[in-house]
Amino acid sequence: MKIKSLSAGLALGTLAAFGASAGQITVFDWSGYDDPGFFNAYVEKHGSAPDFSFFADDHEGFNKLRSGFKADLAHPCSGLIGKMRAADLIKPIDTARLDAWGELLPTLAQLPEVSSDGQVWMVPFDWGNTGLVYRTDLVEGDIDLKMLADPALAGKVSLPDVVEDAYGFAALAVGVNDWSEMTDEKFQEASDFLRAVHKNVRFYWSDQGQLDAAIKSGEIHAAWAWNATELALIFDNVPVKLVRDLEVGVASWACGYVHLKDGEGSDEDVYDFLNALSDAESGKYLIEAWGYAHANAGSYRIADQEAVRAYGYSDPEGFMAESLFGFRVPNEMAAKMLKEFERIKAGF
Amino acid sequence: MTLDKNARLGLLLATPTTLYVLLLIAAPVGMTIAYSFWTQEFVDVTRDFTWANYREVFTDPLYRTLIFRSVRIAAMVTLLTVLLAYPVAYHIALNVKKNKAMWLFLVTIPFWTSYLLRVFSWKLILAQNGVVNSALLWLGVIDTPIDTLLYNSEAVVVTLAHAWAPFAILPIFVSLEKIDRSYLEAAKDLGEGPVRSFLRVTLPLSIPGIIGASMIIFIPTVGDYVTPALVGGSDGAMVANMIQVQFGKANNWPLGAALALSAVVCVTGAACLLVLCLKLIERSLK
Repeated sequence: MKIKSLSAGLALGTLAAFGASAGQITVFDWSGYDDPGFFNAYVEKHGSAPDFSFFADDHEGFNKLRSGFKADLAHPCSGLIGKMRAADLIKPIDTARLDAWGELLPTLAQLPEVSSDGQVWMVPFDWGNTGLVYRTDLVEGDIDLKMLADPALAGKVSLPDVVEDAYGFAALAVGVNDWSEMTDEKFQEASDFLRAVHKNVRFYWSDQGQLDAAIKSGEIHAAWAWNATELALIFDNVPVKLVRDLEVGVASWACGYVHLKDGEGSDEDVYDFLNALSDAESGKYLIEAWGYAHANAGSYRIADQEAVRAYGYSDPEGFMAESLFGFRVPNEMAAKMLKEFERIKAGF
Repeated sequence: MTLDKNARLGLLLATPTTLYVLLLIAAPVGMTIAYSFWTQEFVDVTRDFTWANYREVFTDPLYRTLIFRSVRIAAMVTLLTVLLAYPVAYHIALNVKKNKAMWLFLVTIPFWTSYLLRVFSWKLILAQNGVVNSALLWLGVIDTPIDTLLYNSEAVVVTLAHAWAPFAILPIFVSLEKIDRSYLEAAKDLGEGPVRSFLRVTLPLSIPGIIGASMIIFIPTVGDYVTPALVGGSDGAMVANMIQVQFGKANNWPLGAALALSAVVCVTGAACLLVLCLKLIERSLK
């Protein structure tokens, strides 16, 4: 009897595993986002997580999708949505099928990248700040963005190796708080400023671990970095601070999930996954375990209040409203910025 | 047309390789050439013939600097590697009598670790709180860590020279091993000292090995991408990094293709020049 039930169980188990892998959806994501804590509800319903495939940066992911990689969902940041739409890679989201759509932070739901032309293109998931992170024990005097060009910080500065972030930083430094104010003159001014900072740059960081280690060792004193860097270093007892002062200048980013046209999985599964991700429980986990901000407003109410305060998420809406959001320049200027950034990095 | 047995066998043996080469080398190179004459327009590629990409590559000082820098770095790596490898190869070929195979086996030890890990370990060695700085601080040679060890073109040279050393040792070893020992005895009999017999017999006869080693190192290092990306910082960036940017972030495949092909042409030129120099040295020694 025992043996019988065991073999029956095995057979069932195999069947279940087979069934799960057959109709599985594929999610194209940043590494680490296959953390089941984000989509518990999906796993409970389907018995297993979806298939994951990873990219290291937005543009690499974009190119892989363009060259024929098939997935059902992808996780770009807002800046890439225009390009994905132009390349006809994504289809609109049916918000009626999203249980938590009404609970998402309005600022995120109404981002022009998210909602435009009467359609919704991305389900916002995570967001956060990009700002000036500095060692409070090593940097003295007035803290502002211009200080990164100060010869006193020669060789002690790091900027992100991402054109959108670097120009976001430069825009704020030259007084542009809204991308619509980015005129050709301001672009020139921002480029000149980046050139001045380049003299102080030790390296342009492309992976957060590298930057965190360099700040921890004192190799880097100040950097333009994600809030994740501040968190990681605070966990490590390194005296750092991310300046969230709107007077000084701080940027925000938002990423989310898009529904790819070429996916082979069922829409049913896709929306189950999106519902699991946008649930407040998922947000609670993202805030508590990762220290990232979630798109669902309800998640801040159910998450550990101490964590919410410590990470600066007490008033998400108020905060986002005034910070420089995303990367919103016309395609032509974006191409110009990219070219200019490569020149600046090469010392031209 | 009828083929005899040997010709048929030859055809049979060569066909898989030929197909493989056509499919995986000729076709991609053909695509790259085609792309280099097209134009990127935001997310689409316009297939009208244009020289614009090449014009940009050759007129913009940015690309010129990167190509020259790549050639310079690769030449330095080649020189350093050959200089360091030659004594090792010489020792194994001419002095080691027993267990030669074991010596050669030891030379391959660096390959037991992945290339990427070796590059990362150089990062740890040269870092501000890395092995070199910690040792010097401990010895009291310096008071503050030297921060110019990493993130420059010198770091790229050191890392590449280490990674490519076995590639230089083996071809030089083979050419030294092939030298007819009776030549060395003859030189000795005719009254040549050890230095002169090295310069007039051993070195000239090992030049083919040096040429082989130089080509094996020079050509791939010009196009190395990982090492400059990890230890190069901004002034150690090489042309391959820019090509990667064009195919990735910049999403300008045509410019990337033109850049890649221009780099190939420059590398071919530089490699020919290198061979010519070595041939001239060979002739002047004989």
